[in-house]
Amino acid sequence: MAKKLKSVIKELRKFGLTGVCPREWRSSIVLEGEVDSWQEYIAAGYAAAGKGYKGVVNDLRVPGLEPLKEYLPPGRGGALAGKSYDVVIIGGGVIGCAVARELTRWDLRVALLEKEDDVAKQTSSRNNGMIHPGLAAPTGSKKHSYNIRGNRMYTQVSQELGFEFHRCGSVVMLEKSFYRLALPYVRRKALKKGVDGLEILSRQEVSRREPNATDRQRGGIFLPSTGVVAPYMVTVAYAENAVENGAEVHLNTAVLGFEMEGDRIVGVRTNQGVLRARVVINAAGVWADNIAGYANDRFFSIHGRKGTIAIVDKALGSTQSAVLAMPQLGVNTHTKGGGLNPTVEGNLLLGPTAIEVPQREDWSTTAGEMELLLSRHLSLNRRLRPRDIITYFAGVRACTFEEDFIIEPSEYVANLVHAAGIQSPGLASAPAIAEDVAAMTVEILKKTREVKRNPAFNPVRRLTPQLAKLSLAERAEVIRKNPAYGKIVCRCEVISEGEIVAAIHSPVPAATVDAVKRRVRAGMGRCQGGFCTPALLEIVARETSRSPGDVTKGRPGSRMLAEETKAGGKTG
Amino acid sequence: MEKLLVCIQCPQGCKLMVKTEGEEVLVAGNKCPRGASYARQELLNPCRTLTTTVRTEFPDFPLLPVRTAGEIPLGSLFAAMGEINRLLVRNRLRPGDVVLERVSGTDVPLIATADMTLN
Amino acid sequence: MSPAKWDVVVIGAGPGGLAASIAADKAGASVCLVEREARPGGILKQCIHDGFGLVRFGRKLTGPEYAFLDIEEVKGRGIKLFTETFLLDLDRSEEGFVLTLQNSEEAVFRLEAKALVAATGCRERTARQVFIHGQRPAGVYTAGTVQRLINISGYLPGKNCVILGSGDIGLIMARRLTLEGAKVLGVYEIKPEPSGLTRNIVQCLEDYNIPLHLSTTVTEVHGTERLEGVTVCRVDENMRPLPGSEEYVPCDTLVLSVGLIPENDILHPLGVEIDPRTGGPVVDQLLATSEAGLFSCGNALHVNDLVDYVSESGEIAGASAARHALGDYRPPRHVPILAKGEILYAVPQRLDVSLGGQGILYFRAARTLTDAALVISAGGRVLGEKKYKSLRPPEMERIVLDLSLVPAGEENIVLELRG
Ligand SMILES: Cc1cc2nc3c(=O)[nH]c(=O)nc-3n(C[C@H](O)[C@H](O)[C@H](O)COP(=O)(O)OP(=O)(O)OC[C@H]3O[C@@H](n4cnc5c(N)ncnc54)[C@H](O)[C@@H]3O)c2cc1C
Ligand SMILES: Cc1cc2nc3c(=O)[nH]c(=O)nc-3n(C[C@H](O)[C@H](O)[C@H](O)COP(=O)(O)OP(=O)(O)OC[C@H]3O[C@@H](n4cnc5c(N)ncnc54)[C@H](O)[C@@H]3O)c2cc1C
Repeated sequence: MAKKLKSVIKELRKFGLTGVCPREWRSSIVLEGEVDSWQEYIAAGYAAAGKGYKGVVNDLRVPGLEPLKEYLPPGRGGALAGKSYDVVIIGGGVIGCAVARELTRWDLRVALLEKEDDVAKQTSSRNNGMIHPGLAAPTGSKKHSYNIRGNRMYTQVSQELGFEFHRCGSVVMLEKSFYRLALPYVRRKALKKGVDGLEILSRQEVSRREPNATDRQRGGIFLPSTGVVAPYMVTVAYAENAVENGAEVHLNTAVLGFEMEGDRIVGVRTNQGVLRARVVINAAGVWADNIAGYANDRFFSIHGRKGTIAIVDKALGSTQSAVLAMPQLGVNTHTKGGGLNPTVEGNLLLGPTAIEVPQREDWSTTAGEMELLLSRHLSLNRRLRPRDIITYFAGVRACTFEEDFIIEPSEYVANLVHAAGIQSPGLASAPAIAEDVAAMTVEILKKTREVKRNPAFNPVRRLTPQLAKLSLAERAEVIRKNPAYGKIVCRCEVISEGEIVAAIHSPVPAATVDAVKRRVRAGMGRCQGGFCTPALLEIVARETSRSPGDVTKGRPGSRMLAEETKAGGKTG
Repeated sequence: MEKLLVCIQCPQGCKLMVKTEGEEVLVAGNKCPRGASYARQELLNPCRTLTTTVRTEFPDFPLLPVRTAGEIPLGSLFAAMGEINRLLVRNRLRPGDVVLERVSGTDVPLIATADMTLN
Repeated sequence: MSPAKWDVVVIGAGPGGLAASIAADKAGASVCLVEREARPGGILKQCIHDGFGLVRFGRKLTGPEYAFLDIEEVKGRGIKLFTETFLLDLDRSEEGFVLTLQNSEEAVFRLEAKALVAATGCRERTARQVFIHGQRPAGVYTAGTVQRLINISGYLPGKNCVILGSGDIGLIMARRLTLEGAKVLGVYEIKPEPSGLTRNIVQCLEDYNIPLHLSTTVTEVHGTERLEGVTVCRVDENMRPLPGSEEYVPCDTLVLSVGLIPENDILHPLGVEIDPRTGGPVVDQLLATSEAGLFSCGNALHVNDLVDYVSESGEIAGASAARHALGDYRPPRHVPILAKGEILYAVPQRLDVSLGGQGILYFRAARTLTDAALVISAGGRVLGEKKYKSLRPPEMERIVLDLSLVPAGEENIVLELRG
């Protein structure tokens, strides 16, 4: 028996996981059998990781566990049947959209398929929006190198695509004075890792930089390269620029399987018909293992790790300028521990937490997670109180048991590229990941034919007016040209009807109330849409030629209204 | 007939007991005469002012708020709603203007409460 | 852009702002009103039910009728009203304030004001602020949004509704939804007693056999696309959910009536002092804030139970602003009011004792009390006293204080409520 298999068995025994039968498959290890609980399922996966296999495929059954639920859009049709593309990208998260945009640099027919009603509906809109400095990821991992590269790329990408990016830096505080002994080592490690700039701060220097930082701090480090973005804005910007350069984005379109011929995918089966693709890219987030399985290439499995995040009122946004964190040693090894980070809109985000969850699309929040957030992170900034929280949400990280990104052409399928296991810092790494995935794709295509540059490619996204960014004179000019910009619909975020209408007719049209919110932030302020929801409903209905009763909050089926009252009065 | 009520004539909220004995109506628990007449009314013929809206043909003012000019029997509210929901206002009305002469078999008119001429 | 100059600018044309502009005009000041919505009247436009105006007009009016009376007077006096006009920026200037505004007609423009009245009303507390968990399906609305959808837009948000919170707005919406054809399955209140007026319990719930569940709250929403149900749960004396008492109630709509918060965003940049108990600015009996020339009234000052008191505060703020603008300004001598005992909050928070005349004080009891006594004193001397048969937190109390009674040189005035 191979040495690595033995060490897996030994490790499983150590945890008392006797019901697990490990088996080698290609270069991966597959776990089969039955365990008693979800905790055991997770423990077994980690026990098998790091033993020299390419991946852990965890097929253990957990009796009594609710079957895995995957959302599929309700529509069935043939809108895409018979269509043929050079590249089909599965998944409209930040990775899929960034890859689509990078591929439009080439003269290719590109289609992105997303099962949700909009891009950035899953993990890419449910995260902290932090562009990490690259210190936390293990040296030599893919996470590490893509993070360092991606972080540097954000400056240029944000300018080209016109989204906000603030390099606010982060202050990592120490809870105990003796931790300071480790700082010279941390500095050397950072240097070796290529982290740009690191300053060691005394207790006084931390409080000078962040006067509201907790009294518990005993100095720390400052990482100037840390930044923040609005993650859904980044994703939408990539998608829009891709469409402007010729890519197609198909929403409410789920990939259900592949048609294979030998080692090639020849057909992509969707709820809108079977389409042809010369190369397929797997950027399906928490479902990337399923997609790999459709091509008989499931050499890893994904498990969900939920993170809950709370949003602090903008009124307190100015009480802190950098990201604040205070790592607790020994607490949860699989996350950077969370903290308090600013957003580009001026709020603060509290979190995230980290807990392994069996359901990958369960974004519900719980009282327990909220309490954890409040007790752990709120006090990092002395000015914050629980009542300053305006709302909260959760996201699910797509984790492999190896805890690293999988970014590579399939070893066994000739025309499949994986961008899987993209957990944190996936957003920070996205520009670099996209560059490489696009290059891998072009490499495959070049084997069968010449691939030319797209002469019309324009890296700069076309922007419609955003009032908040204009001077008063420019604002007046925009309103004079189009009076709809004079009418403010969302008071909390000060968003005009003109901006909402522009979002509804943008390259990736916002056809639902939440899609509008994601693009222009209408309804995302303190009143959480209390005032503007009725107006938003009417504008979306008018601009998409529907009745307000047919407008949804998000997915088909999420209608916001039951019926019109006194319909009898209409006929007189 | 017998009923337990909380008086709503003033903030004190007396707990009232009201019942009929033959022709007579007996009220207990009230601290003032207003409580007694309220209880009597609630037992024999509870009445309410109905406030609701009527469809209009003006897109900038799709619904006109209205009310009954006086109280109508509690039991007739849903019948009144059914009738009012079929109306359509074709003129720009102002508060007090009559929308319907008699609401659901009573002699109480339905009147506008908002100013549609305002913009 | 050379800005138009006004003595007084009133922000918000709800009942508070309308009354303020009328009072300022009566006092001889030039005054204009700025409103971000298309029509004046504020929240009253959607409050189509009756019960307004008993104190001020001695009649039971609906919200739109109440607003109409003030709007007619504003029109009659020729007071300038800017509608669909949004305040972008508020700043101090040499003579007072400069406002930067935008609307569709004039694009961006400025106004100058010697004095300002902020009558910006309130907003509603949201689901997340009361910590309801679960996914985020469609069908969770605040009561005010439901009121607007039904009464202004003409849409029923759902057919099977659960209402959280027994405040008056929630009760009124229970009746409205029922009359328009929806089923209201129940009203759930976390406290052991209802927050709304008894009249509304009787006429909005009992009339329609809608159950009221006290000491019960909603802890979780279910459903991913449209709301499918809620978990309700009984709570202990400290309002903490009692494990094991959870119950699933299928419904397609959750209506939240869980409280109002004064809306004072526009005052933040000026650094106006805010009272954490009311959520509104700290004021004296003239309703002058900590910023000279800036006055506050209505629900922006503190959440009122009756619109009649909103109008009263508007009148005071408008008259005070006019006096300030017309040059009658003496430096105030402020004495803080200390609220003690069973008082939730009191407004104003201080008195300008350099002035004589009367001062109107509003307060709310911290809990339900019977046979309570309010004593106003300064330096141990009793200035006034009032007895109450019953007091409830939802009902605001109003008392008038003769300021000539306040002894000179006192450090503070004590308002004490004993149960
Ligand atoms: C709480 C939390 C905080 C985080 N914070 C940060 C942070 O601060 N910084 C950072 O860099 N990273 C952070 N991350 C990680 C980051 O969010 C992810 O790495 C990133 O969003 C992954 O993007 P993605 O495109 O791979 O996945 P996703 O955004 O999930 O996109 C995958 C898409 O594929 C679609 N899809 C799946 N199956 C199919 C199918 N069969 N057919 C069609 N479409 C399909 C899904 O609907 C989804 O839209 C955080 C994650 C969480 C959960
Ligand atoms: C949903 C709801 C229902 C209510 N129901 C009742 C009831 O049944 N009975 C009762 O007695 N009371 C009720 N109230 C309380 C009611 O708000 C007050 O009685 C009264 O309407 C408050 O008057 P106001 O002028 O202070 O505020 P509002 O009526 O809210 O008016 C404020 C006005 O200011 C405008 N405004 C705000 N900010 C700006 C800005 N920056 N620029 C320009 N304009 C601005 C707003 O658009 C609004 O028109 C209710 C309140 C709410 C929120």
